[in-house]
Amino acid sequence: MEIVGGLATVLGSPVLLGWIALAALVGMVVGAIPGLTASAAIAMLLPLTFQMEPLAALAFLYVIGKSGRYGGSIAAILFNTPGTAASTATQIDGHPLARRGLAGKAMKTATVSSVIGDYTGDILLIAFVGGIAWVALRLGPPELFGIYVAAFVVIGSVIGDSPAKGLASAALGVLLATVGFDPITGTPRLTFGVYDLTGGLGLVPLMIGVFVLGEVLTQVVRPADPPRVAEGGGARDTLTWADYRPCLPHVARSSVIGAFIGMLPGLGSAIAAFVAYGEGKRRAANPEEWGHGALEGVAAPEAANNAVSGPSMAPLLTLGIPGSTIGAILVGVFLVHGIQIGPTLFLTNRDLVYALFAAGLVGIAMYGLMGYFGAAAVGRVIARVPARGLYPVVFLIGIVAAYAARGSLFDVWVAIGAGALGWAMRRWGLNPAAFVIAFVLTGGAEQALRQSLLLSDAGAAIFLQRPVALGFLLLGAAVLALRARGARRSLPDGRPT
Amino acid sequence: MNRRTAMTRALLLGCAALTPTLALAEWAPRRPVNVILPYAAGGGTDAFARAVAAAAQSEGLLDVPLVVNNRPGAGGITGATEAAGARPDGGTMMITSAGSFLLTSMLKDTPVSPLDDYEIVAQIGDLDPAILVPAGSPHQTLADLVAAMEADPGALRWAHNGVGGAHNVAGQAFLNANDLAATGVPFKGGGPTRAAVIGAQVDFAVVGIQQAAGFENELRVLGLLAPERDGIAGDVPTVAEQGFDYVEVSSPIVAFAPKGTDPETVADMQAMLEGVATSEAFAAAMRERGNVPEFLPGAEARARLEAMRDATSGVIDGLR
Repeated sequence: MEIVGGLATVLGSPVLLGWIALAALVGMVVGAIPGLTASAAIAMLLPLTFQMEPLAALAFLYVIGKSGRYGGSIAAILFNTPGTAASTATQIDGHPLARRGLAGKAMKTATVSSVIGDYTGDILLIAFVGGIAWVALRLGPPELFGIYVAAFVVIGSVIGDSPAKGLASAALGVLLATVGFDPITGTPRLTFGVYDLTGGLGLVPLMIGVFVLGEVLTQVVRPADPPRVAEGGGARDTLTWADYRPCLPHVARSSVIGAFIGMLPGLGSAIAAFVAYGEGKRRAANPEEWGHGALEGVAAPEAANNAVSGPSMAPLLTLGIPGSTIGAILVGVFLVHGIQIGPTLFLTNRDLVYALFAAGLVGIAMYGLMGYFGAAAVGRVIARVPARGLYPVVFLIGIVAAYAARGSLFDVWVAIGAGALGWAMRRWGLNPAAFVIAFVLTGGAEQALRQSLLLSDAGAAIFLQRPVALGFLLLGAAVLALRARGARRSLPDGRPT
Repeated sequence: MNRRTAMTRALLLGCAALTPTLALAEWAPRRPVNVILPYAAGGGTDAFARAVAAAAQSEGLLDVPLVVNNRPGAGGITGATEAAGARPDGGTMMITSAGSFLLTSMLKDTPVSPLDDYEIVAQIGDLDPAILVPAGSPHQTLADLVAAMEADPGALRWAHNGVGGAHNVAGQAFLNANDLAATGVPFKGGGPTRAAVIGAQVDFAVVGIQQAAGFENELRVLGLLAPERDGIAGDVPTVAEQGFDYVEVSSPIVAFAPKGTDPETVADMQAMLEGVATSEAFAAAMRERGNVPEFLPGAEARARLEAMRDATSGVIDGLR
């Protein structure tokens, strides 16, 4: 029960509590700013933490990661522009709610779901840290490829009314993800001799372009009044137990999905959110409401993206494999403070690790309280700002954020190009969400596939020889088959899903 | 630099020659020095550069801070290109993993190359590659592993952290030198490569020896691909001690200045880095990471890189 000692350390130190509270606030704010992701904020704040005590520095960055994943939902709901990649799924149902004047209800749902998901993940981490690492170690490239294939199926859940356009959007995402050095041979692909392209297109500038700049361009070009966030407030816009009760099964399932994806290196919270959304929609009692403002459609991805946070620390701390961008940066903080990550960490720095976990638990409560009581108020203020004043600011922040993530001017051009692409996709009914999911999944999936083939003595048969890999491939195929059957059944009444 | 400062410098140099306590006066940047680091924050090279910056400050070796500026992208080439194009006034330098930089520039058509486009200031550290197997591996010694490869050429899988990286070339050169064949599988970075060995996804791996620190119960180091034993993991025998051939390919951490930087400025930068590398603060910071400072003056660092280039050109042609 080292966690009790850890909690005592954290709660007994006003300085540490101050850092955690600041992190909760900073994370929420940067998460809420469209395009400025928690990982970009951590990368920018990293040098400041080198002067801090190791525990304070780690706790500060760890909690920013948590509250930033949550804060992304605020922008997704209010502006239809996700604050982080992980909240892209949240906007699908969150923004329609805001348009109906229910932004406060949506944001409170996001807050409660994030907190539940985050606590689920952290408690699993604290209880099973050794076991999680054991599992992560046994999942090699073939198993990871199986999981990627199963995750690809979620694209189906966001495809909407036109499978052809949805698949075309996904194919475009796959194509753009293959730009850059080939992951196995190192040969440049689709770079057209431009050296800046050899590293591939960055996810952050691409996402800022497609979602943030694309949305702004759409608003500018549209001749009529832009759709406003209807003013909320009043009795209708509060969250009641009757509202939230139907969300609970989704939150529980999504927390488990998020926690599982979190312990696998390299998948990350965006994928967790989409998988949870896809699974939620598939199992929902009211699938026809999903996409048009279902509270469950906010709860599911928000619970999942925060549930990633805790379990992703297990492979990070015990094996030195970061499960997310934020994790990769935390490795650096350990290094800079001279703490050796690895199985011996729990022997050499046991107190520090459990104090860090405790800081996470305290941080969740802090951003939960700030979000529950603060976000709705902030949302009400922002909803009064006219769109003509808001969108130029959003545009400017998007450009700055695209530059700031890696300090690269080239990324700004990528964001602007992606902005034009995002506008064109909306204009011709293509699907930005399917595009981004495909982009996110392709890199890891390709690498895992080709590593598997190098490891195999029998070509693609390696996926049949490894039971876990085979299991995930079959799972993906089964979900796809079920969906295709459901789609065919609903055709006669003219409502394909 | 104008004529007057040049004369002042010459004068100071003269004084310094007469004074026993040689001060670092000639290279006196007034603004913080921009240290370009062409990898993301949090990597091994990043940790190295930040330890240099911290030691330079704590030891009082420079009046202004060294500011580490991460410029990741295109496998380290984005930042390297920026450093090559910076004003050669002593206000900018680059710290990078020179082995990987050199090999990348040999393997691919890069806009800059370490030997042609920079002044080489000094080497401050070195990461030697080692051959690792999982703790449960049947191969107890390097001889066992070699015998297994000879018995079934190409059947064993080995992990490295990317084609054209220093450890990949070191591993392939070792295989070539001993007429062995095995199938290389690239992973993304040192951490995932190490995890692939621990999880026995592969039969062995070639990664930096420092990756083994803290994982003694999970993996076994069979040999070091270097002329001498490691300063920290001193119980690991070199492959030459065990009777096998190898080619010296390592990943030295080297500081570069833009081409055209004044030779005196470069000499002062070198002196500053020597001060860092010999300081106890830096040595302590390195030890915590399973590493030791290995200082070489600019000329020797260049000679090492040239030797590495000549020794690996055959291997590189095979990887292309």
